[in-house]
Amino acid sequence: MTLLSETVQYAISGITAGSIYAVIGICWSAVYLITKVLNFTTGEFVMLGGMLTWAFHSMGFGLLPSVLFAVTCTIAISMLLERLVIRPIRFPTEMTYMMLTIASASVIKGLVLLQWGSESRRIEPFFGTAVIHVLGAGVTPQVLCVVAMMALITLGLHLFLNHTLFGTALRASAINQTGAKLVGIDIGRFRLFCFGLAGGLGAVTGIVTAPITFTGYEIGLLTGLKGLVAAIAGGWSMTGTVAAALALGLLEGFGAGFVSSGLKDVFALLVMILFLILQTISLPGMRRR
Amino acid sequence: MKSKRPLPVLWILVIVGLAVLPFVTPGTYVIGVMCFVAFYATLACGMAVLLEQAGLFSLAAPTFFGLGAYVAGILAAREILPPWAGIIVAAVVVAAIAYVIGAPLLRLRGYYLACATFGLLFIVEIALAQSGEITGGHDGLIGIPPLSVFGFTLRGDLHYYFVSWGFCLGCLWFFFNLMSSRVGRAVRALHDSEIAASTVSINVARCKLHVFVLTAVMASVAGSLYCFYLQFTTPSMFGFPLLVELFTMIVIGGATTLYGPVLGAVVLIWLREAIHVYLKGILPKLTAEVDAVFFGVLIVAILIFMPEGLAGGLDRLAHFGRRLLGKSA
Repeated sequence: MTLLSETVQYAISGITAGSIYAVIGICWSAVYLITKVLNFTTGEFVMLGGMLTWAFHSMGFGLLPSVLFAVTCTIAISMLLERLVIRPIRFPTEMTYMMLTIASASVIKGLVLLQWGSESRRIEPFFGTAVIHVLGAGVTPQVLCVVAMMALITLGLHLFLNHTLFGTALRASAINQTGAKLVGIDIGRFRLFCFGLAGGLGAVTGIVTAPITFTGYEIGLLTGLKGLVAAIAGGWSMTGTVAAALALGLLEGFGAGFVSSGLKDVFALLVMILFLILQTISLPGMRRR
Repeated sequence: MKSKRPLPVLWILVIVGLAVLPFVTPGTYVIGVMCFVAFYATLACGMAVLLEQAGLFSLAAPTFFGLGAYVAGILAAREILPPWAGIIVAAVVVAAIAYVIGAPLLRLRGYYLACATFGLLFIVEIALAQSGEITGGHDGLIGIPPLSVFGFTLRGDLHYYFVSWGFCLGCLWFFFNLMSSRVGRAVRALHDSEIAASTVSINVARCKLHVFVLTAVMASVAGSLYCFYLQFTTPSMFGFPLLVELFTMIVIGGATTLYGPVLGAVVLIWLREAIHVYLKGILPKLTAEVDAVFFGVLIVAILIFMPEGLAGGLDRLAHFGRRLLGKSA
């Protein structure tokens, strides 16, 4: 392999990873902006999507029905989480929210481990295993599928948020909840909707990536965290999140390729910490916030 | 915010109870479990002081616990330093790390501080697992000698029982005194409002950093003792499952009081033992992840139905009793 083809290969895997983080980042910000809950179960929804599809598929259902079942189940779990765990809290603070979602994440993870064991599971690629060659690097149709899904989801969300009444109301309640309530927007329903949205998008991400990276009970936490990194670095906005996620994916792809694949996960987390610290430093001449 | 000193009678009762415990229970099983309780209680106590008293949402306690264990363990296992010196060196190293990390990180608030320290937890765990030549990698660090001080070697659960509980109660006593001192009042002022605290000339940044480093050093010493007790450490012992356990302890016990997390540690560790004894037949593999299912459900249930935890309940009971007695007398 030449250096060029290697670079292209790392870039492709970086963009694939970046697309995944972008969608997960959108899941985090959808929930955070409306409910002010930092939902640490986001990563577990990704894991659930993949694992449920695998489970239904191995029970004898076709691929498409199992995908539909898995997404529906994950949305239902996510909405139940909001109704049964987040809403009944008497003294909601950031700390209790975080403890609750971390606890729920570990419950989901443990139950999946108990039910389906600790082996990695694999779903067959949706469009065969043919390899397309670009500049000496190989691209599988599944990778294209992941990138296309990311593009479709962001485009769909963009249209939904900016060109429908429901979407505009959603944006309004993210900006100012009291104001939104005053003009008759039902925040309670939106909270439920956002959790459902996060569950659904997470599940879809988990399903399309399962043929590439495999899925298993333990993948949720780190994958989810990287989505969070993208959301934080992108300033919780959709364009920002997508840009940050792609940059993060590329950094990870090149880091894993040229530096060390074992320390791949460390790069993303270091970026998050550095970014958070940089945000607190106000240099002279910077008059933001 | 309550940090009333408990009655000296209560202290004496607890100390006598703990001192008598090894001689009334048969075998070493109870003592061995109580050692774990002491280590975890120290850690949970420090974390609760940060979370609830100082209002610093830091999740770095398992990280410093692990670093303390690894630094002391490596120094002792490679025979660079005797174990007791290793504990001191580990404490100094962790204090330096906490100081360097804390200075920029403690400027963050709420969720952001939590995210940064959460990231740190993973970074340290991955780094420990990846640097195989120094730390033993995923398989863990083996060959750690038992703790020996001036020719006296601690062997068996009984010795560690007294050392660990001595350290735990020492930390608790220290926190009780600290919290009712001038420094402690400043720390509690931070929790209520940083702006208000700074207007009465409390140096907010320095105050935060000092509490952070203090709890880091305590976690480090607890970690060092832990590694000499087990004579074995793996990176996964100091990861996400430990964090969930600490959360559970703090939530069960109630973080508004100082002794709550200790109570939580006692309940949680014995609960874990009960799960392992009684559910061995039903559940095939009992790993830390499976325990986390029970603890997760417990956290959610307690936060919904009993948000003040056990200590809050006890306090209310004591208050009720005092009022009842006061009226009748």
